[in-house]
Amino acid sequence: MFANTLFLLSAVLTLAGAVLVVYSQNLMHACIYLLASLFGVAGLYACIGADFLAATQLVVYAGGVIILMLFAIMLTGGTGNRTNKYGLEKIPAMGNKKTFMIAAFAAIVSALIVIKVTIPVFQNNKNLIVAANAPTVERIGTLLATDHILAFEISSVMLLGALIGAAVISRPRKEIHD
Amino acid sequence: MNSTVVSYLSQSNEFQNIHAWLSKALGFDASSLMAFVIFAIVALIIVGVMATIGGAGTYAERKISADLQARVGPNRVGPFGLLQFLADGVKMILKEDIITTNADKFVFNLAPVMCLVGVFATLAVVPYSSGFILADLNVGIFYLVGMASLVGVGVFLGGYASNSKWSLLGGMRGASQIISYEIPATITIISIVLLAGGLSMKTLIGAQGGGMQDWFILHNPFAFIGFFVYFISALAETNRAPFDLPEAESELVSGYHTEYTGMKFGLFALAEYIEVFVVCGVAVALFLGGYNVPFDLGTGALFSKSLGLDSMLSQNIGQLLQLGAFFTKTLALYYVVIWVRWTLPRLRVDQLMTLCWKYLTPIAIFNLLGCAVWMYAFDGKSIFALIMAATAGGGAHH
Repeated sequence: MFANTLFLLSAVLTLAGAVLVVYSQNLMHACIYLLASLFGVAGLYACIGADFLAATQLVVYAGGVIILMLFAIMLTGGTGNRTNKYGLEKIPAMGNKKTFMIAAFAAIVSALIVIKVTIPVFQNNKNLIVAANAPTVERIGTLLATDHILAFEISSVMLLGALIGAAVISRPRKEIHD
Repeated sequence: MNSTVVSYLSQSNEFQNIHAWLSKALGFDASSLMAFVIFAIVALIIVGVMATIGGAGTYAERKISADLQARVGPNRVGPFGLLQFLADGVKMILKEDIITTNADKFVFNLAPVMCLVGVFATLAVVPYSSGFILADLNVGIFYLVGMASLVGVGVFLGGYASNSKWSLLGGMRGASQIISYEIPATITIISIVLLAGGLSMKTLIGAQGGGMQDWFILHNPFAFIGFFVYFISALAETNRAPFDLPEAESELVSGYHTEYTGMKFGLFALAEYIEVFVVCGVAVALFLGGYNVPFDLGTGALFSKSLGLDSMLSQNIGQLLQLGAFFTKTLALYYVVIWVRWTLPRLRVDQLMTLCWKYLTPIAIFNLLGCAVWMYAFDGKSIFALIMAATAGGGAHH
């Protein structure tokens, strides 16, 4: 009961957040809804016992990505008026009634196909049981330091590159005298 | 299974009796329901106690600052002015709630709540005692770092939504400061995780002992430096002086909460004071032995053996001692935080960033490497244990 409630809450949060991100007219609000949606995803991870992944989701997205996005939106003035000086919409509409209806029809058809294809997968894995609360931290740590050491190192080199790039961009420009 | 307050309470006979009775009366296994009810009650208690501590924090702040400046401080409401924070709370609730015309109303209302939610969510893993911890997650300290970062989002949004230049500058400073100082704080936390060998709060505290020589702050020189790195970073993360640039009153009026009135401002203030308590609690858990009581009194085994008490009763006495140890250390650190605020002048923005990126971050990385080398070279023994072994070995020669 407890786990089901948690799952339902997380799923509703994820979906509602995602829908509102698309629906929202204000970019800043969309970013906040995205935060809610990402929290929902973290809840979903927690539901299947992936505790480390859930916490990582919180640290990376809530702490880093969302704040960076908010900064970017604020610095680029993304929430300003939506018409330019000639009175034209800067952000064009995604379509009109006709295209939306065609898109909805296409979505229903493709959803039916996807369901048809994935039914055997669900039927075969009907009795799939999630390992109850087995701690994942040790296993992830062991795997990262043994089997996946190359991927781990390469990603750290990438982060180093990003760090150096940021330092190069943000340092004061030297006047060139010749 | 993660140990929680429920798993502690389930050792008692009363819990088992109620569980059996409820299961019989309802016709299904009531353990899930009981866990939910107990979590709800304990969460209510913790939120209530923490809100009181946050409120009392404002009183302590004013009294201690008055003490440092040779004034009297609040002394009218109640004995020694002790009820001042209640009077302040009532005043804040009664004040008019003003939202500026051009404010982004949705974000404006959301920002203080986000700050408070971020802080309250961290309370779930703060280890008050070995039994009275809401949930001892496997990723406890990592979860705490993640949830605390929500405060940064709240501060930034509060500054942005007010549509005021002071607020915006304060919010931007707050967000950049919180993100920056998370790095040395987290790296220092990792070096302690290295010493303890686990992310859960119980592992971190269990690796330490009740006596001072078993605390991680005196485990090795790197951890000793790490404590100060963490403490400085925590001060900056909670926007406390000398790092209170986001609300620098001489330049920014009041920073990100300039436009907030009434209880919304109160929520920001409450979040700040509770967050100070949380970071002090984490510092205590990581470096100062946490809830450990000297001579293993915390487990209560001594009481049941020597005094012949019931095992559950003696465990409860042990828990009370642990609560006392944790709160004493944490409130002592809380005092230091307030003391620092009223002693040191504020830094400039460039000095703030220089301190973080040019000093604290390299020192934190050096500490991490140092801790790793120490663990490898000395087999994880603390410096005290090494000295004891050396003197014992030296004694054998004579």
